[in-house]
Amino acid sequence: MPETLKFHFTPADPPRPDEANPHAKESTQVADVIDQLRDAFGEAIGEQVVYAGEHTVFVDKARLLEIAQHLKAELGFVYFVDCGGVDRFTDEDRFEVFYNLVNVADRKRLRLKVRVDEDDLHVPSVVSVWKAADWNEREVYDMMGLIFDGHPDLRRMYMPEDFDYFPQRKEFPLLGIPGSLPLPPQTPRGPLTMDPYAAAHGSKPVKSYEEPKSEEEE
Amino acid sequence: MEIAPQINRARPGEDDVFSFWDRHNKAIYKRLESKHAWLDDARPQGDGEPADALEHQMTLNIGPQHPATHGVLRCVVKLDGEMIDKCVLDIGYLHRGIEKLAEAKTYQEYMPYTDRMDYLSPYNNNVAWCLAVEKLANIEVPERAQWIRMIGCELARLSSHMLWLGVGLMDAGAVSVFLWAFQGREEIYNIFDHFAGARFTVSHSRIGGVASDITPETLMLVQQFCDKYERVIHDWQKLLNRNRIWIDRNEGIGVISAEKALELGLTGPNLRGSGVEYDIRRFEPYLKYDEVDFTIPLRTEGDCLARYFIRLEEMLESIKIIRQCLERLPAGSIRTDDAKKAYPSKEEVYYSMEGMIHDFMYTSSGVTPPKGVWSYHAVESPKGELGFYLESDGTGHPYRARLNAPSFTNLQGLEHMMEGHPVADIVVLIGSIDPVMGEADK
Repeated sequence: MPETLKFHFTPADPPRPDEANPHAKESTQVADVIDQLRDAFGEAIGEQVVYAGEHTVFVDKARLLEIAQHLKAELGFVYFVDCGGVDRFTDEDRFEVFYNLVNVADRKRLRLKVRVDEDDLHVPSVVSVWKAADWNEREVYDMMGLIFDGHPDLRRMYMPEDFDYFPQRKEFPLLGIPGSLPLPPQTPRGPLTMDPYAAAHGSKPVKSYEEPKSEEEE
Repeated sequence: MEIAPQINRARPGEDDVFSFWDRHNKAIYKRLESKHAWLDDARPQGDGEPADALEHQMTLNIGPQHPATHGVLRCVVKLDGEMIDKCVLDIGYLHRGIEKLAEAKTYQEYMPYTDRMDYLSPYNNNVAWCLAVEKLANIEVPERAQWIRMIGCELARLSSHMLWLGVGLMDAGAVSVFLWAFQGREEIYNIFDHFAGARFTVSHSRIGGVASDITPETLMLVQQFCDKYERVIHDWQKLLNRNRIWIDRNEGIGVISAEKALELGLTGPNLRGSGVEYDIRRFEPYLKYDEVDFTIPLRTEGDCLARYFIRLEEMLESIKIIRQCLERLPAGSIRTDDAKKAYPSKEEVYYSMEGMIHDFMYTSSGVTPPKGVWSYHAVESPKGELGFYLESDGTGHPYRARLNAPSFTNLQGLEHMMEGHPVADIVVLIGSIDPVMGEADK
């Protein structure tokens, strides 16, 4: 009897910890900064992760603001580059917020991460430390629904206020929810477009033009 | 999940036309009232009668469809006579959710979306995405591909700055430079047509290399372009550097100090115009930028004029970089030779069974970075630091792709920059910040 052939997709080899990354940068190797943070805050500084020459450190949500102030005032991280949210879709600590900080003078880049549980979506805002965090935190609120305590202006960034969902959460469907957002009408006097992807949702799309009347109608 | 009920509204064209997205507009106006502007600190407090609201004060919506806002940017400004008291920017009119879309695409499939982010310099976005994926999946890029990418990136920078110059000058009332700048862009499009096969949205870079090799004919075109435009840019400088009208419109407008620029998170030429030396090409050299000789223009004035000088000087530096790339372009392969990491070459695909299987596998599942890792890679796009933060779950799709868009961060600074200037300066300010809404709105 012939042997049955089996096809397997072989995924890429798992990375070895000593594997050198050709794109690794010197500036992201900031073990010394994390050590300094650990000296100053002890327990509040959690696990440290290294991948592709980038150091990431998890910090305690409750002491985030103190750590941010310390980083800016003592360790020279004056430039706030980016922050964003990640929906890990786990039972515990579902959300994650990362902060991408740069020390321009000493050429260092550090990533802080904070874990947020679904039952308590509040994160302290760092706008009082870095003004640049303003829009980024608004975006995380808009997309993930995390609430930044102490933010001066926590409105949605991209979606209109009339929208009731947080689209970048994993459970939000890619094609959107029909009826969740009124869009302008397709024709000058037509109804509001409630579902721009009507065909994908199985209903009939609204025409973007008015058909001329047939002779019989006239 | 509950489906939101259909909201009862008056039909457009009847009484309710202007109250589209009520809650949204109310929130913006509320913010405009409650905002504490930096201007308030400088203003004398206390004595003096409050100005007559009907005579002096006015709330004005500029955009999102105003041509001078360079796309769909909406500025809601509170005016006191001619002067802007407070400003609130409303963005998101071009929001497509490309971060969410990335989660449903393979890494290679996502590339055409990056073309449409900063649509004035698509090549830079392609390279930014590829480098981010290559860092995440630990893929090495052959030398030749890196040099080709650099040529593409610098041409894209030239093209973007040319558009900025032409449109910026047209905002200030000079139309002829717009036509000259667009001639230059046309030539860059022709070059891209020759080596990428597309004029505008090029999608030429590939994970692990580039799509096609650069031909001697294209190299000649690039060489001719450099020779011609070095002279042309000098001519532009002669016309504008001491032009009375241009200087009067720009000098001392939108002044941002180095500290404030850092605090607001400005990036790219806007940050360097304030005297902060932060250019990713030097800060974290990628490709071969640590091997070429170029200077980073720096000014300390922090006004619109400084940003103009910086961009023009950057164009000349780009030409310098392209010349070095042409000289040093090595022979060799243009894509990494590993079917798990990059597409096989077309010869392999057409003439070997394995090649075809690999091509198929790469299209369907593509590169699979290790599970549960994340990384961030930034490049210096014409607008500033353009970075991708990627998280992998071990499949061919990114688990989370986060785009750090320079236009987004720069617009945040613009909100503060506008306050205290007359309405007429809005167009010059928006121009000098050089936002692209495709990128800012994601």
